[in-house]
This record gives sequence, C-alpha cells and structure tokens, in this order.
Amino acid sequence: MPAPEPSATSAALVVDGVVAGIGSLTLLHDVSLEVEAQAVTLLLGANGAGKTTLMRTLAGLIAPRAGRIMLFGQSIGGLPPHLVARAGIGHVPSGRELFPRMTVADHLALGGRLCAPERRAALRERVLELFPAIAERLRQQAGTLSGGEQQMVSIARALMTDPRLLLLDEPSAGLAPKVVQSVFQTLPKLQSHGVSVLLAEQSLTFGFAVAKRAYVIRDGRIVLSGTSAELSANASIVKAYLGA
Amino acid sequence: MLVLQILINGLLLGGMYILLAQGLNLVFGVMGVVNLAHGAIITVAGLFTFWFATHTQLNPLLLLPVVFVAMLAIGALLQRSLLEPLAGIGRKSELLSLMITFGLSYVLVEFGLDVFGSQYVSLPNLQTTWSLGGLTINEALVAAGVLGAAISGALQIWLQHTDSGKCLLATSQNRIGAVACGIDVSRMRCIAFAIGSSLAAASGVLLIMVIPLAAQTADSLTILSFVVVALGGLGDYRGAVLAAFLLGITQSAVGYYGGGDAESVVPYLLFILFMILRPQGLGRAVQAQ
Amino acid sequence: MSFERHTLGRQLQNRLTPAAAAFPSRRRQAYRAVAGLTILAVLAAAPLLSSGYVLQLATDILTFVALAYSWNLISGFTGYVSFGQVTFFGMGAYATALMVLHTPILWYMAIPIAVLLAGVAALLLGAVMLRLRGIMFALGMLGLARILAVVAANWSFAGGAVGLTLPAELTPIAVYAGTWAAALFAFGLNAFYMRSGLGLSAMSVRDDEGAAAALGVATGRVKILTFVLSALAPAAVGGLVAWNRSFIDPASAFDPNMDLQLVVFTLFGGIGTLWGPLLGTLVLMLVGEQLWAYVPELQLALYGGLVIVVVLAFPGGIVGLANRFGWLLRRPIFAPRLFPAAIVPPPAPPSRPSGETILEVRDLSVGFRGIIAHDGLSFSVQRGESVSILGANGAGKTTLFNAVTGFVIPNEGSILYQDRPVAGLAPFQRARQGIARTFQIPRLMESMTVWENVLLAAQHGRLSRQALEQTAWALHTTGLAPMWLESIARLTPGQQRRLELARALALGPTLVLLDEVMAGMTRDEQEEIRVVLRRLPEFGVAAVAGIEHVISAIADISDRMIVLDRGKKIAEGAPAAVLRDPIVIQSYLGEVR
Repeated sequence: MPAPEPSATSAALVVDGVVAGIGSLTLLHDVSLEVEAQAVTLLLGANGAGKTTLMRTLAGLIAPRAGRIMLFGQSIGGLPPHLVARAGIGHVPSGRELFPRMTVADHLALGGRLCAPERRAALRERVLELFPAIAERLRQQAGTLSGGEQQMVSIARALMTDPRLLLLDEPSAGLAPKVVQSVFQTLPKLQSHGVSVLLAEQSLTFGFAVAKRAYVIRDGRIVLSGTSAELSANASIVKAYLGA
Repeated sequence: MLVLQILINGLLLGGMYILLAQGLNLVFGVMGVVNLAHGAIITVAGLFTFWFATHTQLNPLLLLPVVFVAMLAIGALLQRSLLEPLAGIGRKSELLSLMITFGLSYVLVEFGLDVFGSQYVSLPNLQTTWSLGGLTINEALVAAGVLGAAISGALQIWLQHTDSGKCLLATSQNRIGAVACGIDVSRMRCIAFAIGSSLAAASGVLLIMVIPLAAQTADSLTILSFVVVALGGLGDYRGAVLAAFLLGITQSAVGYYGGGDAESVVPYLLFILFMILRPQGLGRAVQAQ
Repeated sequence: MSFERHTLGRQLQNRLTPAAAAFPSRRRQAYRAVAGLTILAVLAAAPLLSSGYVLQLATDILTFVALAYSWNLISGFTGYVSFGQVTFFGMGAYATALMVLHTPILWYMAIPIAVLLAGVAALLLGAVMLRLRGIMFALGMLGLARILAVVAANWSFAGGAVGLTLPAELTPIAVYAGTWAAALFAFGLNAFYMRSGLGLSAMSVRDDEGAAAALGVATGRVKILTFVLSALAPAAVGGLVAWNRSFIDPASAFDPNMDLQLVVFTLFGGIGTLWGPLLGTLVLMLVGEQLWAYVPELQLALYGGLVIVVVLAFPGGIVGLANRFGWLLRRPIFAPRLFPAAIVPPPAPPSRPSGETILEVRDLSVGFRGIIAHDGLSFSVQRGESVSILGANGAGKTTLFNAVTGFVIPNEGSILYQDRPVAGLAPFQRARQGIARTFQIPRLMESMTVWENVLLAAQHGRLSRQALEQTAWALHTTGLAPMWLESIARLTPGQQRRLELARALALGPTLVLLDEVMAGMTRDEQEEIRVVLRRLPEFGVAAVAGIEHVISAIADISDRMIVLDRGKKIAEGAPAAVLRDPIVIQSYLGEVR
C-alpha cells in the first residue's frame, strides 16, 4: 500500500511506514495510515491481524522499530507511554485494563490528572453525561462492574485525560449488541467536542455507521483503504478479512 | 482476665507488625521485588535511635519524622542506582533483584556492626508498665503498637485518598491502565521503594523501644516481616493486617505458655503451615505481575 | 511490556545466555585429562608438605568449594535460588556430633550417616517447598536456617546455645582428605549435570519450567532430586568441620555469613557453570586471606557490595567474562562431534490399540478469572485429520490447548485422548503419552543450543542412542541441521518457529497442537512451515489441531475447520463451506450491509 499523502492541515495522526513487533517477531510490516482530525477513522481486521499491536505501538507501549508517528505534526514515535498520554493520546486498551480495587470515581480522577485544572470539572460533567450508567456507580469498585460498565469506565477514564486523539481498541469485544450500541452512540458526540478517534474493530456493523474513512489490516499490513461508503459496498472486503 | 491480657499484648504486637509488613508489601505490589534488606534497614534505624536516645537524653520518638524523611531520600537513591537497571529484564528480574537486596542487606549490617557494635541493645526509657484493672500494660508496647497501627493507617489513607497515593495504587493494580493516565511507572517504583524503606526505618525506631536489637540479627526481622506479608497474601494490605494480628496474638499466647524461645519460633512455624495449606495467604489472591 | 528499553537490561540479557563451545578433539581431551589429574595431584599433595596454616587454609577453601558447588547445583542449574543452604551444613554438623557423643558410632561412620539423614530431610523439605514460587522457596529456606538455629539453641540435648564440645580425635590430615572427597563429590555432581539428561532437564526448569513440562520433563522430580543431591556435600563438610574444631554451636553451625560467602563465591565465579564455583571460591578466599588482615570490619560489606556489582555489571561472573573471549565455554550436552550424516527416521510410535478418535472434547467449560473461555464446547479430532480452530478471542483458544495439555483444569466437561480421559495426568505425562504443542510466542530454552532444545524433548527423561537419532532427524526434517549448535538468540523468528516444531516432533507425538504457528511469519517463512505441516502424517502424527488467524496459510492444508465465538462452536465443516457460511462471516465482520 502506498503511503497516503500526508495532509498536514487536517490530519490528527499520521502513521508512516511503521514496523513493530514483540520479542523476535515482527507483527507490523510497513503500516501507514492517517486519522482525520475531529472524525472517526476505522481500523478493521480479524483477530490476530495486528489491530491491537498497532494500537499499542501508537500508545507507546511497543517501541516502533522503524517509521514515524506524528500527532498533529509532533513526532511521538519512540516516546514512553506516559509521555504519549501527556502529548494528547487517550488510550482505551482492549481488555479495558482497569484498576480492579479502585472506584469508578478514582478512575475518573486518575485520568483527569492530565486535564488542565480549569477544564476538569466541566469535562467530568460532560463525561458523566455521556455515560449516565456509570454516573450512578461512582463509589463502586471497578472489578465488580459488568462488562459494559467496565468498557464505559475505560472510555471515560481516557476521555478524562482531555485527549486530542482517542485510541479505541475493540470496545465491543465481549459485550452484548445492545450494550455495544449504547457505547457507539457516544462516538459522534466526541467528534463534536473536537476529539479525533481511531477505532479498531472486528465488527463492521457499527463501525461503518460512525466512521468516515476505514483501513483494513491483515497479517500486519494495510490491505485496503477507502471511505466507509466505498468499503461497505465492496464485496472484496470479505476476502480482505478472511484472506481466503 | 488472662485471655484479655494475652489478647491485648497480641493486638499491640500486631499493631507493630503491621508497620513492619506494609513497607515490604508496598515494594512488592508496585515493583514485584522482595526487599531482603528490609530487616537491615529496620535494625540500623533502631540502633541509630538507641545511640541518639542514650547520647542526647531526648525522647527517641522525636527521631521518627527525621528518620522517615532521611530514609525517603536514601531509599530513592538506592532504588535508582541498584534496582531500576533491572526493571526491564523480564522474568529473571525477580531473582536478580532478590540477589541485589541480599547483598545490600549485608552492606547495611556491616555498617551497623562497625558503627554500633554487635551487642544487643534496647531503650530503657519506656519500660514502665501501667496497671489497669488487673492488666499489666507495657508503655513501650502501647506506644509502638499504637503508633505502628497509626502510621500504617496513615499510609492506607494516603494510598486511597490522595492523588499521589492513588497513582501508586493504580500502578500496582494495572500498569497498562496506569500509563494510559500519564503515570510515570518508573517514578512510581522509586517512590514505592523510598516509602517502603521509610516505613521500615520508622518501625525500627519503634521496635528498639520494645525488643532488643543487634546488627547481626537483621535478617530475622526480614523474615518476620516477610512472614506477615506472605500470610496476608503478597501485596494484599488488608490481608497483611489480619496476618499481623494473627501473628501477634499467637505469639503472645505461645509466649505465655511456652516461654520466650517458643515464641520466637512461632512466625516460622506459621509460615511453613501456611505454605503447605494455603499458599495464597489470608487475603484475596493477588497481583498478576 | 516491551516498552521499557534499558540498554543495560539488554546487555544483561545477552550475558545471561552462555554460548556453545566447539567440540574438542580426542587428543585435546586426553591432554586435558592428564593435565587435570596432574594438577589435582599436585594441589592435593602440596599443603601436606607445607605448614599447618596452609593445610588449614586448604581445608577451608575446599570446604567452601564443596558448599559452593552444592549451592550451584540447586540455585544455578534449576534456578531455584536457595538462601539457606547452610541448613544442611548445620544438620550434618549436629547429626554427626550427636551420634559420636551418644552412640558407639565412630566418626567415619557418623558422617556418611549424617549425609544420609540430610538427604532424607532434603527429600521431605523439597517435596513441600519446591512447589512454591522461586521467591517463596528462597525465603522459606532462609527461614528454615533460622528455625533450626533457634531449635538448636534451645534444645539442651543438643547443647543449647552453648553448644557441644566433642572429643578431639582427628588429625588435620584426615579432615583434609575428607574435605577433598566432599569437594570432589560436589564437583563431580556438577560435572555430571553438565553432560547428562538430568542436567539438561534441570536447566530447562530454570529457563522455562512450564514449557519444559509440556516437553515431557518431569520437573517436580528433577527439582527434588537436585535439591537432595545439593544437601549431601554440605552435610558432609558440616560433620567434618565439627570434627576439626571439636566444637559446634548454633551460631557456627547455622552461620548466615557462611551463606553469604557461598553465594558470593559462586556468583562471582559464574553461577550455573562448571568452573565458576571453583574459580570464585579460590580467588575470593585467597584475596580475602590477605584483605581481612587489613580491613576485618569491612568483610560483610565488601561481600555484599560484590554481589551487587556482579549482578549489575557481569552476572555471568568470571566464567561469563571468559566466555566472551571464547574460553571456558559450556559444551553442548550429548552432542556428537559432527552432525550425523545418515539420518535415521524415527521408529513408529508404540501402537496403542486406538480407535479413530484421537482427541475428544466433551461439554468443556473453562472459566478463567471471571471470564468464561469455553461454555460447553464439544468437538473431536479423528485419525488422519488436520483441524483448524478459528475465531473468538485469543485467550479462549489458547486456554483450550492449556486444558488439553494439562496446564488448566476445566470447570466442567471432559477431555479424552485416544479414548481415555486425561484428567489427573500431569502435563509432562500427557506429553510423554504423545500430546505435543507449540506456543503462541515461541518458548525456547534460551541458555541451550538448538540441538539441546530438541534433545530435551527427545530424551523422554533419559539420554539414549535413540534420543540422539530422534533429535538429528527432527532437526533435519525442519531444515535446522546447519544451525544445530547455534544459540537461540541467533535464530530468526521463522527458525524459532521451526525449532518449536522440531521439538514437538522430537517427542514422537500422536497428536500435535499448534498455537498460531503462522503468526508474525513472512510468506516465505509460512511456506517453510507448511512444508513440514504437510508431512506430519508421514512422521507418525495421527492428528493435528491448529489455532490460526492467518487463514490463507492453512485453508488448503486443513481437512476441517471449527469456528468459535464467545466460547461456543458456531460452525464446523470443510474449509470452503465454513468460510462462506454467513454465520461465520457475520461473527467475523458483523452484519454486512
């Protein structure tokens, strides 16, 4: 896949030729993509295709071996993950990664550390408006919440960091369709608040509804890209996914 | 009445043990490291307190905040120079850290021996006892037990209710989530070790008022602290509290009926018993490190 | 997480992996043997001709050599670091002393009996404590030494805190000879471990205990046996020291400083190596002799500081440093001088009266920390089939393999292998019965060469001609013969995957479980693996089950596909049909509009 022309003005995130892996394995081969500012970009792929590896690399958990990662023009490739968070990337990891014995309120407070103090209270209100279900459970320990509630807390925590770009890694995993629907309904609202989103998903159903642009990843390579309209009408997407 | 006496002594003892253990627990929870130099820090702090009290005739409790703060700095330095280099290695780092703290403990013990000598010492100041309705209560034990529990309680409050404490707690519960909140995990390790060492030093200051200490028996204190931590479940604070009281009461009872020497064997026996029957300890099963 | 990039950490990682030595020629071996024996004789005789002081020094050095080698056996080879090895020293001392004092048994009988008793004690202790994690074991041993010291101090029969005075009977020469014997014995054990299947198994426990069990290594037995062997020499020298001094007390019998010394000596020389304990003890004791005269009050601090320095700067010790110049390299275990030219195909696996069903899973439920990985899953793999398992979340499918191989106990349901339930069989037993598996991320033994990694699986607990042939054949089949003596760190990811396959083959398996064997592989590497996979039936493998995401790589070599979604089976059948099944597509893609 040729690298997309970096359009400096409207790109929240530019990923250019990234190579990354774990141990001796190379799991991402020359991955390039762009996330448009204040829009939702979709990263599609089956299990094991490399979605989570890419998200972790973008979040700084895995150091890229080659390539560049630019967040609003600022190079963040190679930064340790806590600095990547401070640069403005909110990471909602697959598997949620909550603090099991800390309360929901604690999660919000911890995320809120990265938000400018004067904006924090208003941000918290907005976040709780987005997820009323967890607003009722502020004193509850995260480990005791249901799957859907945990996912919401994970997103809320990331939103509290006041990010410019949100990395959403398979938020629908393990959740009932109705719950997934309610989670996805929040995405357009994020856009209107100026947050850009990169959404990694296995399921096409909800992804295409909210995203403008989509990339398909398979075996650590980008194999298809286009607008949602183009890809959802394209039958070859099945092939791209299953590789068969 | 006898039962009450044993119980009270045991509870006070337990209060002290909590303080001994929480430092070790904090370090283990955040770093996954068992600090074998823990007992040496306790002992050196205790010996220093003895020296201070006998030379200046001042109340040794005054030393508590001083030692605590000093140890914060020293602990941070030690962590940065000795333990942080091992942080990235993976599986082998557990045992390598164990070896390093093993070596460190001997350096500290030597320091204690050279500066303070090899004799057992303890402070005579607070050896007064009160009589309360038929119960004999040792003043030093009260001070140590109450202060120990208080400091440990303050730690818990700090961990659960302050911003910096919550960062530490979060790091020990989930590192990926912690970095997603912008928490510098490496700095957390440093802070955890600094505070863990300070708690050890603080318990040394209290301990010297209650039992005699000597440089060469430092590692028996490490084992004692470790027993409390292991009984409670590694990294589990509430479990450690339970274990501390269990140990205190058991020791008190055995000490009464069996004498001082039987009393000193209790921690080890409890440890072996638990390792056989319930290796995960009294608390919940904990960390996935 | 791999984001913590400490270059020092990486350096340490590399240094912890000793490289392999080239095989020396016959003549060189003979020279070495003669030279060695000559030196030995000279060393043995010299102190006898010198002053009493030198004799005592030599005895002390030999004592620590024996202790260091014993510590090296358990801590270096199996990786279960024991901080209380002095326990057995003290046991030997007290047992010997009590026997001499209270029974008509004479010294030279008492010591062997004490050794025997220590061995029995180690057996019982090991059975309990070696089940624990490394840290707990280390601390448990530390605590044990303290307990025994306290017990001895309070037991009047054992002399209490004051100790026991013993009849002065023996000449320093006899003690010297006895200590030589103990040191040679301990050294001999180490040398044996360095070239035996037992040593290979012990090292695999250190490198990766879980993977070792999956390869048929009886890890529990290996650990306990090693622990018992490591208790013998200390007990012997304990008795000898008591003899020599005519006095023991708890402080000297369970001296924690002695513990420190043998840890330092071994670490400094090179833990887990053959010559490390000797070199470390010699250098440090001789230096110490000179040094302690000047700065007696710094001994502990210097030793402690040395431990820290060695761990941080050169964890391989002196031998590790020497290795970098190509000296004192470890010889690969049971490796022939040259890779066998004629490859003997393996004998057919022992034919069990088995039916058509190799693996059957019935109503399997596995719950994992609140997550249900499998919910009443049922399927079977028939003889001659290659089944691919797709879909669902990564964790669930590996859990299935973990349940089949015995690493996870299912909550409900049953697993049958060749029509017999596997419940109750330990992982290593299942491996020996013919269930082989690979891991998602290759779990290779990092301190061993390619050859040894495969030999570990082929030996089935004992080295033999057949194991050698099996190893050569497995390497040849997977195309790894040219790099048979390479260390793992030098292999490419594709080669590492093939090595995992070679290991699995070396087990002589009937059922092979492949866990995402294509992940991270390039097209060429995938093809290399496919070549091997296609030939599996030739090798006596009756059935293959593979978890896979890279569907393109296995679609044409699978007979049947099973698709899982949220712990349940949602499709099963021929690949072509399954991949077109709308339910499967929906599970993968969601509803396509």
